[in-house]
Amino acid sequence: MTAASMPMDKPRRWTMPRFLTSEHPFPWLAPITAMIIAFGMYPLAYAFWLSMFKRNPVTRLNVFNPAWNWTKMFYDERVWGAIGHTYLYTIIALAIELVLGLAIALLLDSDRKGYGFLRAMMTLPLVVPPAVTGMMFLLMLDGSFGVLSQGIYWAGLWSPQHPILASSGSALAGVLLADVWQWTPFMVLIMLAGLRALPKDPFEAAAIDGATPVQAFFRLTLPMLSKIIAIAVLIRGVDLFRIYDYVKVMTDSGPGTATETLTSYAGTIYFKNADFPYASAISLFTLILVIVTANIFMKLFKVKF
Amino acid sequence: MSFKKFDKQTFIVDTANAYTERRITKREMLRKLGMAGIGFSAFGMGMLGGHNRGTRGTGFMESAYADGLPDSQAKWLKEVGSKFKGSKIRYTSEATPPTVVLNQIKKEFTDPTGIEVEIEIVPLEQVLAKATQDVQGQLGTYDLYYLDQSWVATFAQDCIDPTALYKNKPDLAMPDFKWDDFSKPLVDGEALVDGRWMGIPFDIPIFIMMYRQDLLEKHKIAVPTTYEQFTAAAKAIGEAEKANGIFGTGLQAKSGHYSLECDWTQAVWGHGGSVFTKDKKFSGNDAQGIEGLKWYQDLLKMSPPNSTASTWDGQFEMMHSGQVALVQSWDEFFPGLDADDSKVKGLWQPAKPLVPAKLRAPADCGFNEKPNAGHQGGSVISLSKYSKNQDAAWIFMQWACCEEIMTRCTLGGGFAPMRNACFNDPRVKAKAKVGAGTTRHLDTVKWTIDNAIATEPHMALWAGLSTNEIPTELGKLLTGQAYDGDAKKCMDALATQIDGKVKDAGL
Repeated sequence: MTAASMPMDKPRRWTMPRFLTSEHPFPWLAPITAMIIAFGMYPLAYAFWLSMFKRNPVTRLNVFNPAWNWTKMFYDERVWGAIGHTYLYTIIALAIELVLGLAIALLLDSDRKGYGFLRAMMTLPLVVPPAVTGMMFLLMLDGSFGVLSQGIYWAGLWSPQHPILASSGSALAGVLLADVWQWTPFMVLIMLAGLRALPKDPFEAAAIDGATPVQAFFRLTLPMLSKIIAIAVLIRGVDLFRIYDYVKVMTDSGPGTATETLTSYAGTIYFKNADFPYASAISLFTLILVIVTANIFMKLFKVKF
Repeated sequence: MSFKKFDKQTFIVDTANAYTERRITKREMLRKLGMAGIGFSAFGMGMLGGHNRGTRGTGFMESAYADGLPDSQAKWLKEVGSKFKGSKIRYTSEATPPTVVLNQIKKEFTDPTGIEVEIEIVPLEQVLAKATQDVQGQLGTYDLYYLDQSWVATFAQDCIDPTALYKNKPDLAMPDFKWDDFSKPLVDGEALVDGRWMGIPFDIPIFIMMYRQDLLEKHKIAVPTTYEQFTAAAKAIGEAEKANGIFGTGLQAKSGHYSLECDWTQAVWGHGGSVFTKDKKFSGNDAQGIEGLKWYQDLLKMSPPNSTASTWDGQFEMMHSGQVALVQSWDEFFPGLDADDSKVKGLWQPAKPLVPAKLRAPADCGFNEKPNAGHQGGSVISLSKYSKNQDAAWIFMQWACCEEIMTRCTLGGGFAPMRNACFNDPRVKAKAKVGAGTTRHLDTVKWTIDNAIATEPHMALWAGLSTNEIPTELGKLLTGQAYDGDAKKCMDALATQIDGKVKDAGL
């Protein structure tokens, strides 16, 4: 038999496994999955793992004791106080920012000359870093020389004997002021987008039927904006739950613990006491609260994405 | 024109004073300083008119009075330091006066050695956070730490003993470093943990009494020397000067801040109490502790309402703006009170700290606590065990803490030096008069360091207790958030917390 007549193996063409081809979803999902694992799941898993240790601040040794931090948290009065302050802060800030945001959006919802400029101006507070905003308001609310404080004293609205940020009854309001100043424009922008997207026909029909602007607002605008409002409240609410910058800069959780929120308490435990496992447990607990609260809200207001 | 060293120093001082007193123009000053061989680099922002409001109330940073190191040290710096040319060392610190001056003159270290120095100046609590993270991960991000005296025990396992290093590495040892020149009470109070040096003392704010001479004379009140007299004087002046908006005293009582804890410990010590007993139990709730806290609560009533939102910066501002008449607090405030932008320039006088009616012996206290009249603050520069540029950082540390540089740091801000020799330096003595960067309070400071220095407990938990639990509970009491003004209730609650933590940590 000659070489020419011998059967030859066909050269094998190398092909990619199917799961690596564009026909399979894997290559499309892999980058984002990797990012989620690296930047989302791993830190979360690490925090959860860390929270299961009891730390000795003297030896700096972490001993595996899964129940320790979670039990400690249950008996820690400051955690309960912080939960109260966090909810109070979130609810008040949301209410004020929503009402103000909607009102300002209604005022700015016009195509007349100059309104575009005003709408652009509304975005300015949003670009200021929250820590800088906190510092601005700290100075403006200073009990001795703060311009806002002096104005409030002058107007007789508050006694100089009880500086706003130094009194347990008013410090949270001072912090809220900074939040409202910075984040109301965010609500304005969302509401404006919603208002601009509303159909004109129902409003024209209502006008022909003799509806007043107030009636049109409550019977048409609000119901039609409800989904937008719900989403704005959800996004802003989750953000408010994580409040840290203003509290840290303006009051450092004080006076006493009057402005201590869950995240600021976790920060205190982390940075001052160096009890990393306990701080992790508090942070995870905050996450659980956010998820539960957000889900309840979504169920109640039938928010769907 | 040539000068012998002493003449040269005196000439520089006279020229600088002449300029600050506006007897000569800036041009003339620069000409004279040029004759003395001084470049711009040595003259900080204060000398050229750019006063910077620093922290802890110094109010300004003046000239660092450029002058040379002794020949042996200058030669060492060039020869030994240049071996590490191209290294970059990092140091994180609070904006304490010596650090600010050091940051201004670090070029004088970099030029002969080629070692870059990055000094991160951040608020005190951030220094703690950065150091904590660094040691936890043993990262070595910072080669040198600023360690407040209240944290040294916490970081004891992370620092290299500089005295041992000096002996073990003679090739890197700065000649004529004079370890014995460091004030012994300061070394004991700031740097030593279990007999080991945790760093080199670098900053010593200490409590002294300060009073407005004009107000005391106006109301014919003698300078208070005891706690009772202080209260009586503050009350009398506060009532008499109410219409002028002047308060008897001002406090650094910000809730949750270390400044409040400092005020509180001094009040407790001043009434015969201590933070811990010798059996390591919290004793702020015993009779003496309660007496001290009640005294402090009384003082708060005579203070500007903003005291509960003020740290040392706020307290300095009260003094600087003429809002208060008497203060027992950090001596570092004093030079700023004499600065040109002070509303009360020359009116404040320093005095020895108030004499406690009774004093608990250190032997009856726990964790090396030493009650006395002058609450010691201060810090050490520590060399990180995890540093990747240990040798270069060690050279910088010696340079920063040598006699000449420490003297110049004192001249730059008028604050107390760590070395005994610096107090007697002719340049320092020459500035002991009313004016920016005055050193006229340093005799009082030296006396307080030598005779009445008080030290907080040295224990690993103290960094957390002194910045979180203690000032937070005190804040609740003082602002009326809890305890209905009842000092005993507050201290009992604190005792439960602290004793639990101490027991839990196995101390």
